[in-house]
Amino acid sequence: MDERLIRALFTAYPLNTFPLYLLQIIGVICFIKLPREKKANIHYLLPFFILSFTFFYETLGAYLNYNHELKYAINAYLGNTVYPKFNLFLFNIANRQIGTILYLILIKSWLHPSKKKYITWMIYIFIVLALVLQITGMELLYLQQPIIFSIGANMILIASGIYFTGLMTHKAYLDRNPLKLLSFWQVTSMLFTYTLTYISSVALIYLYEVNPVLGRALSNINTVMTIITLGVLTLIIASPLLPNTFEKEPFYESN
Amino acid sequence: MNPTEDQIYVIIFSTLFLGGLMSTFVVAMVFIHRQRQAQNRLKMDQVKSEHEKTLLNIENEIQQETLTHIGRELHDNIGQLLSLAKLNFGSIKPEKIAEGRDILGQAIQEVRGLSKQLNLDWVESISINEFIEQQLERIQNTGFCQTSLEADFELIELPKDQKLVLIRVIQESLNNAIKHAFPDKIQIRLHENGMRKQILIKDNGKGFDSSQKLNGSGMFNLKKRMETIGGEFYLTSAVGKGTEITLTLPN
Repeated sequence: MDERLIRALFTAYPLNTFPLYLLQIIGVICFIKLPREKKANIHYLLPFFILSFTFFYETLGAYLNYNHELKYAINAYLGNTVYPKFNLFLFNIANRQIGTILYLILIKSWLHPSKKKYITWMIYIFIVLALVLQITGMELLYLQQPIIFSIGANMILIASGIYFTGLMTHKAYLDRNPLKLLSFWQVTSMLFTYTLTYISSVALIYLYEVNPVLGRALSNINTVMTIITLGVLTLIIASPLLPNTFEKEPFYESN
Repeated sequence: MNPTEDQIYVIIFSTLFLGGLMSTFVVAMVFIHRQRQAQNRLKMDQVKSEHEKTLLNIENEIQQETLTHIGRELHDNIGQLLSLAKLNFGSIKPEKIAEGRDILGQAIQEVRGLSKQLNLDWVESISINEFIEQQLERIQNTGFCQTSLEADFELIELPKDQKLVLIRVIQESLNNAIKHAFPDKIQIRLHENGMRKQILIKDNGKGFDSSQKLNGSGMFNLKKRMETIGGEFYLTSAVGKGTEITLTLPN
């Protein structure tokens, strides 16, 4: 195995990677143990996919920090010769674009069928805006993308608002205890992740230039919140194996 | 404090403010959810108790109707049979005594039939079609008017509460037709309208102006009762053109 990959996997960023590995291992074990029909159910398959996808891009990101040739080559291909050490292109594509879309789809899966169309439209609008901003060169793929991030974050916040509206108005949700609903905790953790990182993400470069210590401290909020969000995703995957611990989600076609 | 420090403070406080705002939002959501849940539960309890009250009233009314029917049967039918039997037993002719015995047997059978109606167990064993048939036969036997029943389906598997309400509403609709409309003919049709089953009760009696509000009348009660089981009650009538009642069954 590539020595750089081993270094990236085990020594690069222990605060980020070890909890992620643990969650990924638990997630894989729980997903394997799920009955066949649940494995094919979007309510378990999507959280597992998001967890695995996060594990994949975080590992790839760490690896690129050791495999400089590959990183420089990708940056050069994208036209970034000024900051060849950045691997923001990966973060932008995986976290800020695909990640936002995946989380929007996740929220959509918990909504009442009549509300799903709003999220579908939000996803289309987000994709179009992200493409337009990048193709026109307003936000380059290999640099910070505050506009795309803020559009995505706002959409997540609106989608969370739609979820909470359903929680308070729909009979199926009124019959349940929200504190025992994993969808409630998932949406809450996403809400906090995007809110707490909103300002710091938009002003990250500025913060790193002016006060790197504070910049790193604020970016750690993102790391911790991401791990909490992934933790709830793992619990969703494990929920069928923990009977009587959580309440059944409404609007699930088969669980 | 220089401008850079100011900006950093703005960033920190904005982050804290947004975090606080979201915490307040989520806590408020949980509180509002709890409140709505309590309101919803209270509403459900009220609906349930109203439903139970309606069912109790319906059971009482059906029993009252049954007692009236039994009283009438005892007086008009069984009383007559017993009197006839008494007359036959008073005779010295053996064939009259045998006839009296037959009449007595008939009276015993009638009494057995009536005793079964005294409690509401018959509601569970009878289908709505059978009940309608019995009611129409009873009306026809009095010679009051002609009746007919057309059914595209048999209504057997119904929950007891729905059955009780339907029985009472059909009974009351027929009573109203007899008491107020004086029709020559009463027709009942059971048919499917799209995905929903309907019972149509039609008479060619004198009718009334149905554009006037139903509130406060017996019809309003019937409508409310159908709604308690998730069904619908719809009435159309015009002076001189009879009345048509549509009972839409719950899904």
